[in-house]
Amino acid sequence: MKAVGIDIGSLTTKVIVMEDNKILSSAIVDTGDDAEATAKQAMAQALEKTGASSSGDYYTVSTGIGGKSISFSNQSKAITTCLARGTCYLLPSARMVIDMGAESSTVVKLNERGRVVDWANHDKCAAGTGIFLQQMAKLMQIPLEEMARLSLNAKGSADITSTCAVFAESEVISHVHRDPPTPMSDIAAGIYSSVISRIMALCKRVGIAKDVAVAGGVALNVGLINILGKEMGFPVLLPESPRFLTAVGAAIIARENIDKGLG
Amino acid sequence: MAEMTTESKSRLHTLDRFREITNTFPKTSQLLEHKQSGKKVFGWLCTYVPEEIIHAAGILPIRITGYTEETDLDDGNAYLYVNNCSFSRSCLQMGLRGEYDFLDGVVGGSTCDGARRLFDLWRNYIGTPFYHVLTVPRKYTEKAHALYLHEVEEFKEHLEEFLGFKIADEVLRASIELYNESRSLLRELYELRKQDKPPITGAETLEVLNASFRLPKEIFNQWLKDLLDEISTSRITHSGRARLMLVGSVLHNPEFINAIEEQGGLVVTDELCTSTRYWGDPVILNDGEPPTQALARRYLNNFPCARMFPSDERFNRIIDFALNYKVDGVVSQIVRYCVPYCHDLPLLTRRLQEHDIPTLALDVEYGTSGSGQIQTRVQAFLEMLEAKKK
Amino acid sequence: MTATGDNSKISAIVRAARIITRMSRLNPEVRQSQIMYYQMLSNYFTRLQNAGENGDFVAAHTVFFPAELIYAMGLVPMHTETTTWMTSLFTGECGDILEAGAHLGLASEICTAHRGLAGAFSLGSLPRPDVMLWSNMVCDNTAKSGELIMELCDCPGFFIDRPFKNSEHELQYLTGELEDMVKFLEEQSGKKMNWGKLSEIVARIDRQIELVRQINELRKTVPSPFRAQGFLELLTVDYLFPGQPETIEYLETLYQELTDMVQEGKGAVPNERFRLMSLFIPPMYLMSFLEKISREFGVVSVIEPFFTFWGEGRLDPSRPLESVARKSYMIPEMRMYGPLDERALGSIVDCARQYKVDGAIYYADVGCRHSCATIKLFKDTLTKIDVPVLTLDCDVVDPTITSEAEVQEKMERFFELLEDR
Repeated sequence: MKAVGIDIGSLTTKVIVMEDNKILSSAIVDTGDDAEATAKQAMAQALEKTGASSSGDYYTVSTGIGGKSISFSNQSKAITTCLARGTCYLLPSARMVIDMGAESSTVVKLNERGRVVDWANHDKCAAGTGIFLQQMAKLMQIPLEEMARLSLNAKGSADITSTCAVFAESEVISHVHRDPPTPMSDIAAGIYSSVISRIMALCKRVGIAKDVAVAGGVALNVGLINILGKEMGFPVLLPESPRFLTAVGAAIIARENIDKGLG
Repeated sequence: MAEMTTESKSRLHTLDRFREITNTFPKTSQLLEHKQSGKKVFGWLCTYVPEEIIHAAGILPIRITGYTEETDLDDGNAYLYVNNCSFSRSCLQMGLRGEYDFLDGVVGGSTCDGARRLFDLWRNYIGTPFYHVLTVPRKYTEKAHALYLHEVEEFKEHLEEFLGFKIADEVLRASIELYNESRSLLRELYELRKQDKPPITGAETLEVLNASFRLPKEIFNQWLKDLLDEISTSRITHSGRARLMLVGSVLHNPEFINAIEEQGGLVVTDELCTSTRYWGDPVILNDGEPPTQALARRYLNNFPCARMFPSDERFNRIIDFALNYKVDGVVSQIVRYCVPYCHDLPLLTRRLQEHDIPTLALDVEYGTSGSGQIQTRVQAFLEMLEAKKK
Repeated sequence: MTATGDNSKISAIVRAARIITRMSRLNPEVRQSQIMYYQMLSNYFTRLQNAGENGDFVAAHTVFFPAELIYAMGLVPMHTETTTWMTSLFTGECGDILEAGAHLGLASEICTAHRGLAGAFSLGSLPRPDVMLWSNMVCDNTAKSGELIMELCDCPGFFIDRPFKNSEHELQYLTGELEDMVKFLEEQSGKKMNWGKLSEIVARIDRQIELVRQINELRKTVPSPFRAQGFLELLTVDYLFPGQPETIEYLETLYQELTDMVQEGKGAVPNERFRLMSLFIPPMYLMSFLEKISREFGVVSVIEPFFTFWGEGRLDPSRPLESVARKSYMIPEMRMYGPLDERALGSIVDCARQYKVDGAIYYADVGCRHSCATIKLFKDTLTKIDVPVLTLDCDVVDPTITSEAEVQEKMERFFELLEDR
């Protein structure tokens, strides 16, 4: 029986298909208005890649903001649980994972068995997230990838002191329009520093434990990861496909349930 | 718009080395030398810790403070949570980051919630070899004095046990006299600010005070004597749009006072944990009385912290100072979440109003340099005071 | 000597309490002890409401102030924090009360309990007392409330200085404070302390604490018989009616009920899944919601180290005043007052082990500085013995801090964490 994990995020829906202990395939689709339809679509894509059809033998665990509303999943689990499992599978030495998603950031502390020990998240505020970065890139009138590249070349870091995304916006605008203008690379570095400091505050709340892994779409941002490593004082671990880590965790729980005979 | 004017272009150069202490703390050369010579350093917090006992034991007492400037307090926040005052968080963060690793001991008083929790966390997360907290009563009654004396004696015994020798009465008396000398020198400095055109600003005074709890008193007293000498021969004076008194809890950053004085609000006196509350009263040694008793009496009766009851004691002293220094207005700077001082504010404002002294209430973060909003509000306050004078 | 002032808000509490009592009597599912509890609340506030008419002397007091002394002198106590909470709960005027507090010049950082309390007095929502009695238990906010209230109500007051550490010396100081307070109260009220009555009350408080200990023993049973939010009753009876005959009756009845449940193998929630330790107090306005969650998820709070887990010791009625002082060191919440040394932390670990808890919930009241400063410390302490802790940011009185949806989500994640282990 195949194990399927579905992670419904605010921007994208990810699916992982596993059999026994191996990942067979994956799929990623933009989350539409109908979460159920998106999930079905993504699952179909993933299953097709394995050569199986959608009407085969499989057990599904769903998670993410739309996780509970999927009628065809066998079980829904919290993101935190899936993050812990997925991290344990992909990066067994990690005891902490930072999920930098589009709308919220979550820090999960896990034990050697991939069980959640503690977690903390930023749900009230946009300052530590992907959407914030997108907004900032827009203000600087450059694509996100360009911002990342620029930050790596920064000589300094512009001071962006506001903890609030709304005020940070005006600070960035003032840097861009200053005379002489603050170098773009410095602004990019400054924005990332501000995002990272929110993340660090979250991490300290649960207590930093090595190794620290990073997941979520924002983890693909080289500039951010660079600054995060500097703040931590040691390099952070990156899984091969950070966007899929949560879905991997969901799939692992699905496999555990199959082993328990629940399928 | 008349701002603060300083006559004579020269500045007091004996002030420079005081400033240097603050800039290099906690890695000041005097501290490092002290440690290198094999002697011990203790950190203390709150004006209810009898410093002389530490000094008499041959240990250098320095005051535990946080970072001079307002800064990110992620580590402090993780342990003390964001709703405890930024002062306690700042102190704790310095401790957590190892900046106080050179301390051989910490001594505190059960004075307020922030200090109390700071010490709870210090005990559990920062392993300073000697640790002691004194219970400080909130009253001035005879029974309270008896309890506090007991606490002071217990602290002395604990310290003697730790060190393996007794602190002789004569040695303690000598320490008391040395500290009394500091206090009277500081009083001399303050008296100068009663003048219509004081020779020293509020910001400069704070620099002197900051150094006072970061240096061996022997050195500090000499430096202060040198400063008083220089002042007596200099022609530097300051005047402003209004004479102000600064009240509140903890303040270490002279930039904050600078921001007020640059706009013409000359701070001629103050009531802060780091100023008059520190040196306010001398220890009065009576014949035939054990020095610990004299110490306990002085420390409990000293210029009150807002935690003491009844609050009128503090209010009366503030009004005394305000009247003696011919103050036009009072600026209250309270660190956010400083509960005892917040609670006092409505009543204090009323009492001052009875003497026709207006109050400006500023809600700050510890270490603030006083820019932006604060300047705007000070500006408005000064304009109001000027209008009042006419 | 009579209390004057608008007490229309007190009548709101009285009305609500009476309605709840009546409805409880009609509901077969409600326990006898609960009915007694509501009746006691009703009597307490009725007495307060009628104090003016009856020419009774009203002594307002803050939390943990020994109301037993007020009872012993035949005066009418008014527990300021509880009365303010209940007022805001039953009239929905939380916002008004807090705004009034702000108008007085009290900063928003002052916790809602005390800002609200001053606000309530300034609005006349609470009856004007004849004296204001307060102490520094358990924080600076409490220590500093009294003087402002004395000015607002134009009444005399007395402050009890309760020292920090638990030593014989400090106990004697506290006893001395109580002596002085009694003298003050005698002068103000014109009544003398009835020492015989105080001894009786102390004897009953000793029994009261013993009964709570015995009830706690029963809660160790799997499944646990006492409903999740029931601990608030245990807390309130000591706040409002310490050492009163009705309190003993109530506790004895409750004890019998729980004993019966234990014998029948019945738990407070059907299908008990998680046994939790509650650290600090859940928000008032979420009570029924939490009750619902308890039943839905099979969660029961089996012990509350700072509310129901009394410190060791017995009270000696032959030394009544000293016993009242001693009690202040046994009060569960004083465990977290400090100092937080190995003994204090060890007792929390002890609690977790004895009650076989699966996890703990820390209700982090954003206004309460000194308790929030313990979150990390307690979390680390409990993590060492593998007990996970959920921290919920909330406010005891102010409903705008967190919503039911947020609490539900966090709790569900936490239960999943516990299930997953």
